[in-house]
Amino acid sequence: MVKIVVASNASFWGIVIGVFIIGIIIGAAATYYTASKQTVTKTIPSTSVITQTVTKTTTITTAATTGVAHATKTVTITTTTSPTLTAPKEKVKLVVIGPWSGKEEKYFRAVIGNFTKKYPNIQIEYIVRRAEDIAKTMPLQFAAGKTPADVVITPWAWWIVKMAKKGYVLDISNLINPNEYISGIVDKVTYNGKIYGAPFAMWLKPGFWYRKSFFQKYGLKEPRTWSEFLELLNKIKKIPGIKAPIVTGDGVGWPESDIVEHFLITFGGPSLQLKLINCEVKFNDPQVKEIFKKYLVPLIKEHYFSEPIEWTQAIQLWWNGKYALYFMGTWITGMVPNPNDLDFFPLPGAKGVVGGADYAFIPKFTKHPEAAKLFVKFLATEGQAYYVAEPAGKIPTWKGVKISQIWKPMQTVYKKITERHMVILPDLDDSVGGSWQTLFWDQLKLLWAEPDKVDQILNTLTQQHPACKGK
Amino acid sequence: MPRRRRTRLVLIFLLPELALILSFVLVPIIGTFIISFKTSHGYGVGNYYSVITERSPDRALVIPENIIKAQPPPWGALVHNIIWVAIHVPVVVFLGLTLAYLLRDVVGSSIVKSIMFLGMVIPMVVGGLLIRFMFDSDLGVIPVFLRELGIKSLAHTWTNYPQTALIALILGSVWLWTGFSLTVYAAALESLPKSYIEAARVDGASDFQIFFKVVFPLVKHATIIVVVMTMLWDLKIFDIVFVSTRGGPGGATNVMALVMYNYFARALDYGKSAATAVILALISLIPGIWFIRRVVRPSAEKR
Repeated sequence: MVKIVVASNASFWGIVIGVFIIGIIIGAAATYYTASKQTVTKTIPSTSVITQTVTKTTTITTAATTGVAHATKTVTITTTTSPTLTAPKEKVKLVVIGPWSGKEEKYFRAVIGNFTKKYPNIQIEYIVRRAEDIAKTMPLQFAAGKTPADVVITPWAWWIVKMAKKGYVLDISNLINPNEYISGIVDKVTYNGKIYGAPFAMWLKPGFWYRKSFFQKYGLKEPRTWSEFLELLNKIKKIPGIKAPIVTGDGVGWPESDIVEHFLITFGGPSLQLKLINCEVKFNDPQVKEIFKKYLVPLIKEHYFSEPIEWTQAIQLWWNGKYALYFMGTWITGMVPNPNDLDFFPLPGAKGVVGGADYAFIPKFTKHPEAAKLFVKFLATEGQAYYVAEPAGKIPTWKGVKISQIWKPMQTVYKKITERHMVILPDLDDSVGGSWQTLFWDQLKLLWAEPDKVDQILNTLTQQHPACKGK
Repeated sequence: MPRRRRTRLVLIFLLPELALILSFVLVPIIGTFIISFKTSHGYGVGNYYSVITERSPDRALVIPENIIKAQPPPWGALVHNIIWVAIHVPVVVFLGLTLAYLLRDVVGSSIVKSIMFLGMVIPMVVGGLLIRFMFDSDLGVIPVFLRELGIKSLAHTWTNYPQTALIALILGSVWLWTGFSLTVYAAALESLPKSYIEAARVDGASDFQIFFKVVFPLVKHATIIVVVMTMLWDLKIFDIVFVSTRGGPGGATNVMALVMYNYFARALDYGKSAATAVILALISLIPGIWFIRRVVRPSAEKR
């Protein structure tokens, strides 16, 4: 038997009090450490002043979120903002959270490399975090008066505005001149006349991608009319080894939503997309119902679309000839073995194309607001030129970047859209956001499984649309 | 040892654990409880009312909208959890006990048991992905096998269709969880004297009678543990659903934990998320209390 020596009455309370004293000492030390770190941050001198003035001419096609411009026009940009930003003389480390990993991270690091070359005193630590993860963790950190990063990049403009409404985001109106950007792109991060996010490069969802070699092999041509499109699908269906003419990508549902948006824009016009976002037109409106029932649902029922397949797996199957067409965003150009064998066509008659940008914002609680502003300004302007030169499948939102600076396969996409006078429209579900976005994705997965439930699905989307409530 | 000294010693040893439980369990529980009553108009039961009466397919607990006009699935998330329990628990109990009993005296059975236990060892996120691929029309074992059998109506991707998505996840969870049940029953059978079975055999009992009338009642405690742990696992199920279907298609695989997540991460509505968490916790208490009454308290009383 082991005899346990038990503390006496006095030593028992001694232990308890000791634990508390140690706790207080540790707490005080931690507080002192944090406070001293803050003091160091505040005493960084900043005297160097950077001013920037840009005058450029470029050709772009524009679209607004409130109205749609149909013409290609030449825009002369004269930057009116001359932001006075101070570069730190001492070393500053910025933590940047963004959505890119893998190859995309490599392309973004090229932008960071050019920034740190320009501002050697600013060091960047890049952390990968998806928009969903950012949205669920950061509000709590902001509410506690803290931020895990000095600059955060996310494609969810609606979420940035939501955070701005709560006072968690720095106003960067003096850094961004909306006239220098593709119109409508800055509106998405504007609230009460103030700009809270800086647009970075953008992707497009231009249409159905195909392999040029596949089309050549089977004598297929891009369709010019809806009946030609159906004819093309029937021809593809008869090709041996083809499982379905169009492969349906499946993420958490979003590839289906892109297809649906393209049909809505094609047959309802670009303005329908905007009206659906604001609920000026409801999803169960006869016009919308007709587009679904006349064009999309028959294609699903006749198995012209495949079952939803995990979207990266779908790329491989499509590239290997199991499917002929794939509706996807421009980032696909950076995900295939030979982007020069790649081409696309929109649905015949489409006058709009969905595009969306990633946005950088500065949390109010950053300890390095000046350096963060420098980085955000860089991302929103010249940084875009470095990024779109990489095979990331993106185009610039800043008009200061020349077309010749864009990665070659994307120049083709850019030109094709411009030639067809297609306007760039905001992504429908990204614009509505919140829980409706996931509902939209999920209901469309249901549509693919049970196209006969189209009425029920459209009613659900109307009833739950935040802008439709009370209308 | 004097009683007072023993109490003090116990307190000293308990102090760190109590501090941790207080900081990381009790305080968050109380916080969640308070937040669940916080509404935009002050404090009240508004969040609970909204959560229970919600009809959107991605958040409905009981009855989603359109259920009357259209044939379910989906039902509400709570109903999906109950269906999960109703199928998963008996299957896991039956498979675990049967396998443990059959493998009892088989040479190399430990290898089989280890393989079965793999489902418990792998992260549930990976498990969710495996389920997704297991029921994929091109890559999945089950649709390919059914296609070979000529059952083409089920040779599709099960997780894409409301009629098969929930059952696919439940079957997948059987595969993931049977290892646990098998391990518990194997341990219980190890402690069972062989003479009981031999005596039953001498008395003329068939294998079937021995299994159901001798073995099954004698491993009652193990059954209670398996039933309660499986029920609790089913009620708080989240990861495999999130990874494989995200509650879809059309909300057909939505579960309570996912509803809580959707309120929290998508709608950024912390009050409703907390209210859902409290409802889930209260429902989980039912098997928990039953377990304490049937197993924990009698064992303590025996001592």
